[in-house]
Amino acid sequence: MTRPSFGQRVRRNEDARLLTGRAMFVDDVNLPGMLHVAFVRSMMAHGTLKGIDAAAARQRPGVVAVYTAADLGDYCKPGPVLVNPPPVPGHVFHGCTQLPLAKDKVRYVGEPIAMIVAESRYVAEDALADVIVDIDPIDAVVDLEAALKPGVPLVHPHLESNAAAHVVQRKGDYVAARAKADIVVKRRFLYDRGVAAAIENRAVAVDWDPRAEEMTIWDTTQAPIPIRNGLAKMLGLLESQVRVVAPFVGGGFGPKIMMFYPEELLLPWAAMRLHRPLKWTEDRQENFYATTQERGQVHEAEMALSKDGRILGVRDWFLCDTGAYDPYGLTIPINTQCTLLGPYDIPNYETEFTSVFTNKPIVTPVRGAGRQHGVFVSERLLDIAARELGIDRVEIRKRNLLGPDRFPHNHEIMFQDSAPLVYDSGNYLPTLEQAAEIIGYDKFIREEQPRLRASGKRVGVGICCYVEGTGIGPYEGARVTVEPSGTVRCATGVGTQGQGHFTVLAQIVADALGVGVEDVRVVTGDTREFHWGTGTFASRGAVVAGSACHAAAMSVRGKILDLGSAILGAPADNLELSGGRVKVAGSNDPGIAFGDLAGRANPLRGAVRPGTEPGLESTAYFGPDRGSTASGVHAMIVEVDPETAAVEIKRYLVVHDCGTIINPLLVEGQIHGGVAHGIGNAFFESLVYDDQAQLMNASFMDYLLPTATDVPPIETAHRETPSPFNVLGLKGVGEAGCIPTGAVFAQAVEDALGPGAGVEINEIPMSPNQLFELMHVSGKERA
Amino acid sequence: MGANVRVDVTVNGTRHRRDVEPRLLLSDFLRQDLGLTGTHVGCEHGVCGACTILFDGEPARACIMLAAQADGHEILTIESLAAPDGTLNPLQSAFRQAHGLQCGFCTPGMLMTLTAFLRDNPKPDEPQIREAISGNLCRCTGYQHIVHAVQIAAGTRAEDAE
Amino acid sequence: MNLAGTFTFAGPRATVWALLHDPAVLAKALPGTKTLTLAGPGRYEGAMKVSIGPLTAAEFAVVVTLSDEIEPSHFAMQIDGKGGVGFAKGSATVDLAEGADGGTVMTYASDIQIGGRIAAVGQRLVESVGRMMMKQALDSLNAELEARVKK
Repeated sequence: MTRPSFGQRVRRNEDARLLTGRAMFVDDVNLPGMLHVAFVRSMMAHGTLKGIDAAAARQRPGVVAVYTAADLGDYCKPGPVLVNPPPVPGHVFHGCTQLPLAKDKVRYVGEPIAMIVAESRYVAEDALADVIVDIDPIDAVVDLEAALKPGVPLVHPHLESNAAAHVVQRKGDYVAARAKADIVVKRRFLYDRGVAAAIENRAVAVDWDPRAEEMTIWDTTQAPIPIRNGLAKMLGLLESQVRVVAPFVGGGFGPKIMMFYPEELLLPWAAMRLHRPLKWTEDRQENFYATTQERGQVHEAEMALSKDGRILGVRDWFLCDTGAYDPYGLTIPINTQCTLLGPYDIPNYETEFTSVFTNKPIVTPVRGAGRQHGVFVSERLLDIAARELGIDRVEIRKRNLLGPDRFPHNHEIMFQDSAPLVYDSGNYLPTLEQAAEIIGYDKFIREEQPRLRASGKRVGVGICCYVEGTGIGPYEGARVTVEPSGTVRCATGVGTQGQGHFTVLAQIVADALGVGVEDVRVVTGDTREFHWGTGTFASRGAVVAGSACHAAAMSVRGKILDLGSAILGAPADNLELSGGRVKVAGSNDPGIAFGDLAGRANPLRGAVRPGTEPGLESTAYFGPDRGSTASGVHAMIVEVDPETAAVEIKRYLVVHDCGTIINPLLVEGQIHGGVAHGIGNAFFESLVYDDQAQLMNASFMDYLLPTATDVPPIETAHRETPSPFNVLGLKGVGEAGCIPTGAVFAQAVEDALGPGAGVEINEIPMSPNQLFELMHVSGKERA
Repeated sequence: MGANVRVDVTVNGTRHRRDVEPRLLLSDFLRQDLGLTGTHVGCEHGVCGACTILFDGEPARACIMLAAQADGHEILTIESLAAPDGTLNPLQSAFRQAHGLQCGFCTPGMLMTLTAFLRDNPKPDEPQIREAISGNLCRCTGYQHIVHAVQIAAGTRAEDAE
Repeated sequence: MNLAGTFTFAGPRATVWALLHDPAVLAKALPGTKTLTLAGPGRYEGAMKVSIGPLTAAEFAVVVTLSDEIEPSHFAMQIDGKGGVGFAKGSATVDLAEGADGGTVMTYASDIQIGGRIAAVGQRLVESVGRMMMKQALDSLNAELEARVKK
C-alpha cells in the first residue's frame, strides 16, 4: 500500500532545483538580442508635470528607444480597479488608478515618467540622467488626518477631497449596548507602513515572435492568468497568443498580486514595436517606491463591556492610507473591519472607515492585508478593559470566545469577497487553553514573574487570539493527467512564491491516486499549461487550488477504476489503487500500471467506447461560496532592558488551527516566516517619509529587516478543526504568523514594564527608540 | 567608461578569460556573461547576502565587487555544490530535510555563507549559527528551519527531528 | 535641510558683497563646481559634482536666482539643483553686518527640500555634507578676501 501523505512531514519536490541554482527566476531569462529597460521616475511626490526632454537620452550610444506617455497614444489609459467594492449599502468609492507613464501630474516619488530601452542595463541607467523632467511642485499630502482638512492640495483634483472611500458597517445596536455598559474603554491606535520586502525584486521579461505572432512574458506575478487575459485584450491579441509564465518567484507576500504594474504593461507593448526581447528587473531602491506597500491606519476605537468583562459592543472609526491610487478597492479596510471581531462574540458592532489618498506609494495587500490592524485594536481594547476591570487577560478572553456550538457563525457584515462574514467552524477555547498551558501562563504570572521582578528583571507575558479569513473564491482549477510513463502531471493556474505548492498539491493528488508524492509533477504559474484561475492571495492556494486538484484527481481515479474494471474483469468496487497500479484487492495478480492504462486509454487503433474520453485526464474547478476561517493564539515572553528599552523575546508560541493539515512541516514554515514578518513590523520596520513624502530610508541599510539573531525560535502546536466548506476540510495558513504579532508584543512589553511604569503601547511599529521615549515620558509624567 | 579590462578567473573549476567593462559588477558577470544564474541579486548594496559567493574560499558579496577584481582569483558559486549527477551535498540535503528554504531566492547565498562557516566551525552551537547567517536576509522562513538544517549538516540534530 | 549659521569674514563688507556676486570666485570656492556663469541679472547657472555617501560624484545642474538685494547688507536666493540622482530646491537668505576689527559678519539661513535618491539613501549624510561644503566654501572665500585685502 502507498502510505497516505496527508499529515506527514513530506519533504518538498521543488527543493532540489532551488538548492542547486537550477531553478529559473524571471531575471535568469537571458535571450539573444535582449534589450534592457530602466525607468525615469518622479523625484517629486506631488507636482504638475510640465515637460520631459528626452532628446539627449535618445542620442546616447546604446539607447534604442525612449518612450513617454505621449508615445503611448491610446495605450496610455488608467489601469483597472481590480477588486470591486463589496455591496455594502451606502458605501462611497472613488476608483483612481495610475497611467502606465505619468502624464500631466505626478503623485508619488517613484511614479514612472519615461521608459528607456538600451543595449545593456548599464547604458539604460546612464541614460536616466539624460532625461530632463520639469515638474512644478505641489505640497505633498503625507499625513492621513491632515489629508482630509479643508484647503489641503488634492491628490486627485477631480474629487472634492482626498477621501478615496467611505464605508459604514453595522451589526446590532452599538449605541443601545453602550448605554447599558458598565465600562467603556476608548483609545487611539496607530499602525504604520512597511514594505513586503520579498528578497527577489519584481521583474518582467518579454519575447515577441513577430512571425509566429506569439508573445511569452515571464513575470514575477502572483496572478499569471489574469495578467495574460488583461494583456491580450490591451495588446489586441488572442489570449492564446500570449503566454505568461510566473516561474519560480522569490517571495510574494502580496504586492506581486497587484496588476497591472506599469512595467508589465510597457515591456510587452515595446517588444511588439522593437521586435526584440526585453527585460526589466527592479532594483532594491526602486522596490521601495515602485512596488506597492501597506499598513498605514489610524483608529479611534471603543469597547463597551459589562463589569464581568463581557463585550457588549465595539465601535471603531478609522482612516486607511491607500497611497496615490487605489487599484485594490476596499480589500484592506474591509479585512480590518471583519478581522476586528476575532474569535469573540461581539453582538453589537459599528465600524466606519475613510480611505485616504496620499502622495505615498500605492497601497495594496501585504501579508495580513489589514487583518493585523483589526486584531491590534480589539486585543488592545481587551487588555485595557481587563486591567480596568481587574480581570485576568486570559480570563477576559475566555469569557468572550464564541463557543463550538455557534458555527457556522454569521457576523452580519460584509467580507472582502462580497459575501457575508460567516465563520465556517472553529473551536477557540481549547486553543487558548493549550497556548496558556504550553507557555506556562499561570505559573509565570504567579511565580516566575514576581521572582524575576524581585531580582530587577522586567519580564512579561503576552497572549492574544486571532482569526484569519482565508481561502476565498472565486475559483481555481486543475488538470490531472496520467502520462504513459506513469508520471502524474497536475497543472494548476495558481503561481507559487515558495509556499510549497509543488509538494502539497502533489500530496493531494498522490493520496487520491495511490502514488508517491514524488511521482506527481505539479506545474503552476504557466498559462500554456492551465489558463483558468485567479492567483495566489488571501491564503487560498492550498484551500482553493488544492480542492480543485483533489476533485480532478478523484475524477481521474474514477477513470482508472472504470478502465481497470473493464480490463481486469472485476467490479470497480473490488479494485484498489496503490503504488501506481490498479489491481484486484487481495489478489496476487500485480494488476496494471497506470502508465500502461494511460496508453490503453489513448489507443492508436481500435475503438474508444462511445461516451468516454481518451486518456486518463480530468479537469476540475473549485469555487467556494465563502472563505474558511482559520484561528489561533500567539503567546510570547519578553524581557525588557529598563535602561536601553531593548526587548528580548525569550519564548514565542503559536497554537493555530488551519483545519486539516496537509503537511505540518510546511505549515510550520509558513508560521515561522509570518511571525518573523510580524516581529519586523512590530520592532524594526518603518518607512520614514519627510514632510514632502520623500522616503528617507530606501535601502536595507536603513530599513531593517529582522535577521537570524532577531527572530527567536518559534514553538508551534497544531489543532485541526476541519472546514465544512471544502471536502478536504482545509483552511489557509499563509498569513497567520504575522497577524497578531503586534498585539501580543504590545501586551507582553507592557506586562514586563509592569503597571507602575504607566506605559501603554498603542502604536506599531514600536522601535526600541520609541519605547525608550515612551518609558521616559511616562516616568516623567508620574514624577 | 574607459577601455575593457581582461579578466582571467576560475569559476567552479573552469577557467574563463573575458574582456569586460571596468564597471561590470561581478554578480552581472557571473549571471550574464557566464550564465551562472544561481547567484541571485537581492539588494545591490551588499546587505541581503543573496549574491554571496566564495572568493578564494571566503564568502564575498558579488553585487558590490567588480568583475575586474576577480582577475587571477578563484570563485565558487551555488552551481559548484552538488555532484555532477545532481546529487545534493550534505548541507543541501539538510536544507531539504529541515525545510530550510521556501521561495529559495536567498538560499544560494545562505548555502555559500554556510559552506565556509561549517568548514571553519564544523560543530557550531545555535547562537553561532544564527550569528553566521545574520548577514543573509530571508523573508520566508523566519530562519528557524535554516538553523535546523545547519544542525543536521553538522550532525548535532537528527534528520527527522521535529 | 536647514543650513543656518554665522561666519566672520576678515575684510570689509563691500568686498565680501562683491565676492559673493562674482561667479568666478564662487566657482572656485564652492566644492565640486565645474562651471558657474552669470546668465542674466541676478541669475547664475552652473554644474556641480557632489558626493554624498554611497552616491559618488553625482552631477547637478544648478540655477541660483538672487532677489531682495539691499547692497551691501542683504540678499535672498532661490536655489534649484537637478541631477540624475535627485534634486535640491529651496531658498536662502544672507545678511552682512559690519563686525569688529573691520570684519564682516555673515548670517545665513536656508530651507532646502531634498528629493530623489539623495534623499532616499543619502539622507543621513545630506546635512553633514551640506555643512561641510558650506564651511569649505566660506573658508575659501575668506582666503580670497584676505588675499584681496592685502593687495
